[in-house]
Amino acid sequence: MLDMLSHSFHLLIFPGGLFALLLGLLLKGFDRKICARLQRRVGPPILQPFYDIIKLSQKETIIPDTANKAMFKFAPVFGFMGMMVAAMLIPVPGVWNGASGLGDMLMLLYLLPIPAIAFMLAGSASSSPYGAIGTSREMVLMFAYEIPLLVVLLTVALKAGGADGSEFSLAQVVAFQHENGSFGFNLSMLPAFIAFLCFIPGTMGVVPFDLPEAEPELLEGPLLEYSGPLLAMFNLMSALKLVVVMGLGVALFFPGTIPGGAVANLAWFIFKCFMLMLVSVTIVRTATGRLRTDQTFKFYLKYPSVLAYVSLGLTLLFK
Amino acid sequence: MSNTYTIPVGPLHVALEEPMYFQVDVKGEVVQSIEMFAGHSHRGMESLALERNFFQNIVLTERVCSLCSNNHPLTYCMALENIAQIQVPERGQYLRVIADEVKRIASHMFNVGIGLHVIGFNTLFMHAMEVRETMQDLKESIWGNRMDISANTIGGAKYDLDDELEAYLRKTLEELKKPVEEFKHMYATHPQVKARTKDVGILPPEAAIEYGLGGPVARGSGIDNDVRKETPYAAYDKLKFNVVLGEGCDVRSRALVRLGEIFESISLIEQCLDQMPKGPICCDPLPDIPAGQAVARSEAPRGELIYYMRTNGTMYPERLKWRVPTYVNWEGLRVMLDKAKVADIALIVNSIDPCLSCTER
Repeated sequence: MLDMLSHSFHLLIFPGGLFALLLGLLLKGFDRKICARLQRRVGPPILQPFYDIIKLSQKETIIPDTANKAMFKFAPVFGFMGMMVAAMLIPVPGVWNGASGLGDMLMLLYLLPIPAIAFMLAGSASSSPYGAIGTSREMVLMFAYEIPLLVVLLTVALKAGGADGSEFSLAQVVAFQHENGSFGFNLSMLPAFIAFLCFIPGTMGVVPFDLPEAEPELLEGPLLEYSGPLLAMFNLMSALKLVVVMGLGVALFFPGTIPGGAVANLAWFIFKCFMLMLVSVTIVRTATGRLRTDQTFKFYLKYPSVLAYVSLGLTLLFK
Repeated sequence: MSNTYTIPVGPLHVALEEPMYFQVDVKGEVVQSIEMFAGHSHRGMESLALERNFFQNIVLTERVCSLCSNNHPLTYCMALENIAQIQVPERGQYLRVIADEVKRIASHMFNVGIGLHVIGFNTLFMHAMEVRETMQDLKESIWGNRMDISANTIGGAKYDLDDELEAYLRKTLEELKKPVEEFKHMYATHPQVKARTKDVGILPPEAAIEYGLGGPVARGSGIDNDVRKETPYAAYDKLKFNVVLGEGCDVRSRALVRLGEIFESISLIEQCLDQMPKGPICCDPLPDIPAGQAVARSEAPRGELIYYMRTNGTMYPERLKWRVPTYVNWEGLRVMLDKAKVADIALIVNSIDPCLSCTER
């Protein structure tokens, strides 16, 4: 019974649910503002993502006649729910070390592609040719960035397993790093960290890897036909995903804590998420243009995958 | 996927800004065939021109298009001057060149910037617009307007430069050189811009000749074709400049030609300021316009602009017809878009610098 209550709390309030939503939207606001300032624009207010959600939720939803209506409505809900569950598994070091029975990296590996799958469902359900192209691009992109992610997670698991075996529980991974130092400062883990940094813009769908949405080419692709609350649902999904991916990065590579109790560590966690986003999302999307699908695929096979394998090899060698 | 499917590009497309409709048959992500439709914003301007007298038509032709809004009245006035054998005073000719080149710089910068926006490189796009803004400020200071600068009139120019404005013009151009140089360097060296634009939208020189293309599109394929050089008008015969040519025949080459032309334009304006004699700016009084017909050509930022005019001795033209560069250039898209990727369609279309408001007037 108590277990149920605590799971509900983690799902709906902290670290998933309310906390993750607020943090995700805030991070998105900062992302937009900083990107604008880097381009010497004024940029929207930091709270703009919140205003967007409020506005969209009050609007009418228009569903195209030719769309598969059930699937069209289901896709954003599916993506949102998947991310809600994923956000619950993210440990906040020093505040909450992850659900010990649930916080498994393999589970996250299955939950993380859900937004991409939701996009594919949305794209094919909307019956727009742009949605169809977006769907096929999303599929290609997913295959490209999932490989480095898998290898990175494997490397971390082997490293955290110590001298023998492997450790797939995120809580244990964090605990191991608290004892033996963060992986981010470990030389043999450095290639894996860089591979993870490359994975982030791909999974977040930002320039240079925003192929499925690519506004000037595909007019937002799968999102083209969406409006109103359903679009807001997609926005919330991507805000949650931002927190999940950044939280995963913090847990995998920089779970260090600072003295000063839960409140200080919560601020520390938010700060780390922000810095990670700054490096891997904001600056990357400001400094680059969009790649083509074939170029993206080649990039992911060439660099992040190789880097991740190098880390895996080093970890196995010095075990 | 074995069979093709059709995607609509336009008539309202985020990357195209203007109402142009392409029906593109794609197989996977590769373009198989393309059908172009125009005529979404026909304004009947050739008919409107017949209802207006010669002076009102200067205003009308200026509003055909915003980006080459100086070339339309200029060419219109040249056609009329050919009919009436009006000699434009030398100072007026230099002033016409200055207005023309300022508009060209702004137009080229705009096109290259939009090309970067299409490949998702918004930072460099903002940078391009910021550089272009210098020219907008300049236009507003000298002519009092940001787009329609109304610099031409029948028989000469409508504005004059005093010492203060000349100094301001020189200073602005001097300040413009460094940012444009930086921008060109960034465009030419950024690996990602190169990856997206090199060998995209290939237009072989033979195809450029076969389709009769002009302007930076043809020059990007190495075709030496510039009206300013071939049949100089205004003061171009007294000025030194190079025709910038590209060899890549691709999107990148066309953009680099445009960036190169900006430097030529800056040099042209500076030469004008150095050589410009004192004197009248406009032929005054104007002779009566006799019956007759004439053709005038000029080099608009997008290519060759031709005006045909027939008069009947009254104050109203009997026929006014213009052929705009985009009309010939977009046929070249059939060659460029053949077997292109869907991701490159908007980029290639942008590389011909399409101006639909000229074409559908």
